[in-house]
Amino acid sequence: MMQKESETQKDEKGDVLKMVLEIGRVCIKTAGRDAGKHCVVIDMLDNNVALIDGATRRRKCNILHLEPTARKVDISKDADHEAVKKAFSQIGIDIKDTAPKKAGSRPSKQPRKKEYPAEKKKKKPKEAQPLKDAEKSKVIDVVPEKEVEVQPEKNPEQKKKAGKTLPGGTTVKAPSKKP
Amino acid sequence: MAATIFKQSRSFRVVKVKAPGNRIVVHWRKRNPKGAHCGKCGTLLNGMPRLRPVELNKLSKSQKRPERPYGGMLCSSCTRQVFIEKARAK
Ligand SMILES: [Zn+2]
Repeated sequence: MMQKESETQKDEKGDVLKMVLEIGRVCIKTAGRDAGKHCVVIDMLDNNVALIDGATRRRKCNILHLEPTARKVDISKDADHEAVKKAFSQIGIDIKDTAPKKAGSRPSKQPRKKEYPAEKKKKKPKEAQPLKDAEKSKVIDVVPEKEVEVQPEKNPEQKKKAGKTLPGGTTVKAPSKKP
Repeated sequence: MAATIFKQSRSFRVVKVKAPGNRIVVHWRKRNPKGAHCGKCGTLLNGMPRLRPVELNKLSKSQKRPERPYGGMLCSSCTRQVFIEKARAK
């Protein structure tokens, strides 16, 4: 069993790491959600911070969260992800690139359908379907008539039909003028 | 008929609830389970809720355990040691 790292041990480890870590050094990440995955040092941003890429996400990393291995890879500073991929394939480490999820791919929870009594079920489809068909035909015919405001007053029957079929915003004027 | 449970015992805990009329009523609820412990060193794990299974079902996956390998099984320092050992073994 290994003992837990004390603070003095951490300082010693940090001093060693600063000597060892260079661009192209293959490491294993030991902390966080990418722990246990291989990565390469692409750049040293700071004395204590490295930019890494590989099987992990491309990110900044505290050098204390890296464990260097004996392997090294030929890579330029700030190399692309594809270049890192090529270099890793030569060593024999596979990198899985996860594509972002598509919006429609996940099954969504559907709420339970309430069971209505039989009367309501019959009414709804009858009212809804024929109106929709009628709307399309009537809307096209009625719209040019409606631009002239005086005409609908003479024929109240036309008004009612138009008021039902058109969406609410356009038909507000007609019913208000009746009284 | 199911046997009635005697609630005013040590296996239940007391919760004080404010009832309408501004009076305080004592409720008896089941005790919460022990917290999760590290499988290697035995310390209490951080970031793990201490709730009954019914309450745990209401939480999301990321609220139930830290999102790292061995999360919810080993503590953070033990996982670090595991990965360091693996890296040095190669
Ligand atoms: Zn532990």
